Amino acid sequence: MKTIKFHNSFINSNFTLLGRNEHSPILESKVDKILNDYYNNEKTTELGEMSYQRESINGLLNKIKKNEKEIDLLIGGDLQNQILATNFSAKNFEISLLGIYSACATFTEGLIIASSFIEGNLVKNAIVTTSSHNLVSEKQFRFPVEYGAIKKKINTFTATGSVSTYVTTEGNIKIESATIGKVVDLNYSDPNNMGACMAPSAAETIYEHLKSMGRKPEYYDLILTGDLGEYGVKILKDYLNKKYNMTIDNLFDSGVILFDAENNPCIAGGSGPICLPLILFNKVSKIKHRKILIVGTGSLHSTLSSNLKLSVPSISHAVSLEVVK
Amino acid sequence: MREKDYKKLVDKHSKKENKLKNVIIAFISGGVIGVIAEGITNFISKNYSLPMDESYIYSTLFIVCLASIFTGIGFFDKIVSFAKAGLIVPTTGFAHSMTCSALDYKKEGFTKGIGGNIFKLTGSIILYAIVVSFFLVLIKGCIE
Repeated sequence: MKTIKFHNSFINSNFTLLGRNEHSPILESKVDKILNDYYNNEKTTELGEMSYQRESINGLLNKIKKNEKEIDLLIGGDLQNQILATNFSAKNFEISLLGIYSACATFTEGLIIASSFIEGNLVKNAIVTTSSHNLVSEKQFRFPVEYGAIKKKINTFTATGSVSTYVTTEGNIKIESATIGKVVDLNYSDPNNMGACMAPSAAETIYEHLKSMGRKPEYYDLILTGDLGEYGVKILKDYLNKKYNMTIDNLFDSGVILFDAENNPCIAGGSGPICLPLILFNKVSKIKHRKILIVGTGSLHSTLSSNLKLSVPSISHAVSLEVVK
Repeated sequence: MREKDYKKLVDKHSKKENKLKNVIIAFISGGVIGVIAEGITNFISKNYSLPMDESYIYSTLFIVCLASIFTGIGFFDKIVSFAKAGLIVPTTGFAHSMTCSALDYKKEGFTKGIGGNIFKLTGSIILYAIVVSFFLVLIKGCIE
């Protein structure tokens, strides 16, 4: 796995748009905008997600007081087939687009690409955007929305919303280094238990990052994973302990925090690429936590691979952040 | 870590479903549906002086319509996620699966949307019901 060091890339600003999340009251006071509507006045939920993303990019442009022509690069991804939400929201802006997909690790992948472009002086600034929508994911990956398919406690609940981040050469949060993950597959094939599918790749990426940077887990004030869920975190910690004899106490999962899964009898946590930035920007205290390692975790399955009874491979990208101001 | 060891690790940490509780809920809720349908059958048979086997057809129709309407109104999914197999196994589950598929795809047009996807969940039930009934009839014919 490749670890890169950055010197000149910063997260300058972000815009969080929270959709309708029945299970999550914790963020409502802090996010930039709340749309309590799955459709957002559009015809279908898919179009709703596109409008979510459009509004979050627009909101970010207004927040940083920049014109779309001043932005060099837009990097985006989502969970829809052929990343439709990103492609259709980007057509409203005159910004060069790089569409990316690594499921729920899309946000960290976007940050790595944006930082690399900025570090190489190829662009001056970039916007990284991502979104997910509960009903779109239910329809695409699971059962029709009105079917009310039986949820097990190990299931995670896809969060609805969109987060756009402005990455440039100055800002409060420095992107210090990153580890690009590899695809890990331990032949585990239950797509209901996403945490178990993704835990090995998260473990490998975290171990590789700490090893190549010569650090111990305690170096970080907080290690924040994406959407492993309540049981995924336990599996990850046990995996690291058994395989690498490593104990991590400062590791928390965004999905668990988002839906308070430990006290919630119905679900194991939130999922979707927006879980990580939602918690990172709106819940994590930047005064208490100065050095943060974020680990986006993505499971790379589709309905086709599930129907073919293939195992679920997963990928995790880690980005090390330092709060500088 | 080997695959077997990892599966053990996952099983150790993942919460198991309470199967006995699910079975009891399904048994009771499925039984309640049966009682309601039986009541409707008796009601039709007595009040409209129809033979019992014809009354069964009408009560099935009534239950199917009711399940579809409840799905359309939007609260049947919540009952299904509670009652589980108790509502999925009876004919209510069949009606519910068709209606929710149709609802999901109605924006994609009448032909490719509703037409193409209405049997998304129930298609295999219809196919294998026909196959199984063919072989049952065949066996019955051989015996007689």
